[in-house]
Amino acid sequence: MSAAPEKAAYEPVFTGDRLKELEAIMARYPTKRAALLPALWMVQQARGWISEEAMVEVAEILDLTPAYVKGVVTFYTMYHQHPVGKHFIQVCTTTPCNLCGAEDVLAAFLKHTGCEELGATSPDGKYTVVEVECLGACGFATAVLIGDDFLENVTAEKVPEILKRYQ
Amino acid sequence: MPTVTVNGKRVNAPEGATILEAARLAGIEIPTLCWYPKLPVVGNCRICVVSVEGQPKLLPACATKVSDGMTIATESEEAVEARREVLRLLLERYPADHLRNGGRAQPRNEFERYVVQYGVEPTPVAERDLSLREGDERPGDPMIRHDMSLCILCTRCVRACEDIQVVGVLDVAYRGEHAQIIVGNDGDPDKAACTWCGECVRVCPTGAIFEVLPRERFGEHPVRSDRVVRSVCPYCGVGCQVDLHVRDNEVVRVTSPDILLDTPNQGSTCVKGRFGYDFVQHRDRLTRPLIRKGWVKREGRWVWEGPTGELRRSGPWRTIAGEGVELKPPAPPRATGKRLRDLPLLERVTQDIRDRAATPAEWYEPFREATWEEALDLVASELARIHRERGPGAMAVFQSAKCSNEENYLLQRLFRARFGTNNVDHCTRLCHSTSVSAMQAALNTAAASGSMREIEEACDVIFIAGANTTETHPVFGAAIKRAHKRGAFLIVADPRKIELARRADIHLQMQPGTDVALFNAMLNHILACGLENQEFIAKRTKNFEAVRRAVQPYTPERAEAITGVPAALIREAAERYARGPNTTTLWAMGLTQHLTGHDMVTALLNLILATGMIGRWGAAMMPVRGQNNVQGASDMGAIPFVYPDYQPVSDPKIREKFARVWGVDPESMSLEPGLKVTEMAREDSPIRALYIMGENPIISDPDIAHAEAWFATLEFLAVQDLFLTETARYADVVLPGASFAEKTGTYVNTERRIQIAHKAIEPPGEARADWEIIVDLSNRLGLPTPFKSPEEVMEEIRKVAPAWAGVTYRRLEGAGLQYPVPTEDHPGTPFLFADRFPTEDGKATFHPVEYSDPAELPDEEYPFVMNTGRQLYHWHTGTMTRRSRGLDAREPLAVVEIHPEDAEELGVTEGDPVRITSRRGTIVTSVRISDRVARRQVFVPFHFREAAANLLTSPVLEPHAKMAELKVCAVRIEKVPVEAAV
Repeated sequence: MSAAPEKAAYEPVFTGDRLKELEAIMARYPTKRAALLPALWMVQQARGWISEEAMVEVAEILDLTPAYVKGVVTFYTMYHQHPVGKHFIQVCTTTPCNLCGAEDVLAAFLKHTGCEELGATSPDGKYTVVEVECLGACGFATAVLIGDDFLENVTAEKVPEILKRYQ
Repeated sequence: MPTVTVNGKRVNAPEGATILEAARLAGIEIPTLCWYPKLPVVGNCRICVVSVEGQPKLLPACATKVSDGMTIATESEEAVEARREVLRLLLERYPADHLRNGGRAQPRNEFERYVVQYGVEPTPVAERDLSLREGDERPGDPMIRHDMSLCILCTRCVRACEDIQVVGVLDVAYRGEHAQIIVGNDGDPDKAACTWCGECVRVCPTGAIFEVLPRERFGEHPVRSDRVVRSVCPYCGVGCQVDLHVRDNEVVRVTSPDILLDTPNQGSTCVKGRFGYDFVQHRDRLTRPLIRKGWVKREGRWVWEGPTGELRRSGPWRTIAGEGVELKPPAPPRATGKRLRDLPLLERVTQDIRDRAATPAEWYEPFREATWEEALDLVASELARIHRERGPGAMAVFQSAKCSNEENYLLQRLFRARFGTNNVDHCTRLCHSTSVSAMQAALNTAAASGSMREIEEACDVIFIAGANTTETHPVFGAAIKRAHKRGAFLIVADPRKIELARRADIHLQMQPGTDVALFNAMLNHILACGLENQEFIAKRTKNFEAVRRAVQPYTPERAEAITGVPAALIREAAERYARGPNTTTLWAMGLTQHLTGHDMVTALLNLILATGMIGRWGAAMMPVRGQNNVQGASDMGAIPFVYPDYQPVSDPKIREKFARVWGVDPESMSLEPGLKVTEMAREDSPIRALYIMGENPIISDPDIAHAEAWFATLEFLAVQDLFLTETARYADVVLPGASFAEKTGTYVNTERRIQIAHKAIEPPGEARADWEIIVDLSNRLGLPTPFKSPEEVMEEIRKVAPAWAGVTYRRLEGAGLQYPVPTEDHPGTPFLFADRFPTEDGKATFHPVEYSDPAELPDEEYPFVMNTGRQLYHWHTGTMTRRSRGLDAREPLAVVEIHPEDAEELGVTEGDPVRITSRRGTIVTSVRISDRVARRQVFVPFHFREAAANLLTSPVLEPHAKMAELKVCAVRIEKVPVEAAV
């Protein structure tokens, strides 16, 4: 049976240089399957999240089944299965950070980004705020990760200033 | 060999055995859930934990290897308590309220049996913290659905799909309490390439994955049956053994025998075997004999008083050609989202367009119901009259590759002994007849040399030419995929990019009909590299030099020009093939159904012989047989030039032997080979009386329009079948036969394995087992036929067929026997030709062959090449599968596969109606866009009456075996305006 026609044509992630990069990664491992995690990271870097079509694309390149790829994507919390904001903000709320006001920091991020709700994306599409377990910077609570930037000693008051840097 | 003690019993376990295996050797069962025979061990359920002396912790029996001196207690207090805890944890997410009350309730499945056995009391569902489990559920699926609240995440289904069927539709997604079984990555089994084989249904220990048909019909879990009867699947030549579950007089469900039993299918089936059995109980089944109105008996003689001339066999139906050009109703819309088509129950399918294959009510109009006495009397007296008046040459019979050996034996016996004619043939003519002619010329054999098992176990290189095994022989296809997975090198020669071609290490995608050039070039390169097996050639073959000379001009470059396959790829394939060390060669209709089919198979045999890839375990020559008993029907002499066991009809001594056993005068039997199917249905044919058992040539034979006209001109036509088929509607008498489930008989699969299928239910109404009908008819015609059972028929077969001399019904129980079985203590023959070939001097003969073009090449007027063949969900003329609810739901409509770029040029998209025209006829069918076909090639399955591919195919005949060129014909494709289609 053939599939129903796609609504919008899917643009493959792995073309040109990106495909070459993936091939270089694949060459490091004895099996293609071993390159799955980095391949998914590359998808997320390129698209911000991992769509069902992207899972199929990765599966085809690595000789895996789409179901297997989904199993991996959904096992790890750091792969996004839905579109997220341009800036992905992760606020640590584990004990030391919590004692140092992480709940207020979180509330401030939600308020100033306009996200309102954990995991939701702001109406302007810029931000998504989530709560995470220990970021490993207990001596510098509260710790926050925005994209790949690690921020320490964050307080609720600093939030508007920080956000100005992430437009 | 380690010696261990299990529950005080000493066992010698093989090296590397697990505790579980050692315990089973001692006859001690350890409970298992995630463990399943032949699946990878994951050890995730922990129900098999046991105590081992000296070990501080319990050990999982399935994943722990024994060591010498181990002392194991499988039911120690700690082990039992741990097991109870495992069950308690699993029950926290399982709807088990019916299992409360101290386990007095009836367990419904494997898991619940353990719950009851270990006396675990489930918490009421309402009092639990965790909700029931979820997962993808295939809503509306016609065959397989899920109830994931029953899932215990043992992952057997995931591994069965991945490791047995090598498809990988299912997996586990999410984590922790949210972990669940998913279907593909978006819930759509279609996109995940599911083949609906039901392997997941078979291994599921809780019924979370279940078959729709029985549950929709009976609404029970599990479906109750009175008894289970071992049978053989009625579809392809793999010969899967199946268990028919019977309730009252109905087959309620089909399962496969245990995975560890020695059967050709090793526990698997495909979608047809597991879900395609409901045709047996279809409302269209014939229940009483039918006689064409117009036949009356006056003064003890039958006379025709109906219309004559063109109206003699007319009826209120359109011809196949007439139906073919009609515009078809549009395809039912594919449900949106993840929901598949939901179908009404079988009994309610009446007006649905998908039910068009069912017999239209008006087809019965020219007939009246009759008693068996009347019907058989009419058949006997008319056959006798025509024989008397027109001679043996006017008599003919089409036998059936769907019927048992016994039935085929009896029918050819009747026509040869009573009517003295060798006009005896069956559908092998359009199947492997060119293989048989080529194999007989080269090796004097007519069957596969090896077994399916050796491909999986022992071969290093698999060469497949023109066989779409994963669709046409799915269980064997899965075995090939497993072999490829374990490391066998796979080479596929096929003009289409079929599933195996996509997986293959080398795909030789040649132009249709150019195989001879390809194989000759492979041999050319093998000789150029000196990779031929000189010892084998010298000791076991002759005439090699002629072939060496003949392949000289076929350089890979020349072959590239003819076939379109790059020369480098031909070279690599040739080297791989010759280096083996064990290469198995498979082929099917892709080679045989050509004008040069005999030459193609001969070229392939030259390749096999020059490299010596035959006669060892792992190096097999396998023509993959299509029908469940096409091998057996041929073995039983349903071929115009041989008696049973391939004994030539032209040899007076052999004729004498058969005449003696059959109790007739040898002089009354013919020494002349008879006519072949493809020679009979022609305008100049001498045939006047035709008897057809279980065949539907009007759909399956080439150039239908001519064939249909010819059938209408016969003086007398009797058809014995399950349904009033497209062919039966032209008959004078239609005799209702029995399906595979309704009679006992033996069948031969593609690896020469004779297997027995037992009767499970009674035929509907007055329908009778086919062997009974033939015995009755033979006796009426005065041929002594004293058989009271199929077993008695086998006793006579043993007497006349030397290769079957050791076959008895008792010995066929279980795995069956691979012939030759010359004596009763002979174990059968898994592979042939280890030392010699069955020729006079024991040597095989090379025959040089030259390439020539197919009869029709594309030109300006007919620019496309049309290929025909089968689909996964349908079988031949659709008589059975289109009356099977689940199968027909998967492929309800006639289609043509067109390459995306050609579709764009034609301006058509998926589902659009198109008109396909060849020099013979026209059909209207709908487009399926697929890159499986190459550009300028189209594929039309031949199952569909309303758009019959064989209206277009060419009746040009191959000179050796009279095979039609069904795989290549030139066609033109035009878009049909959509307004016209509405």
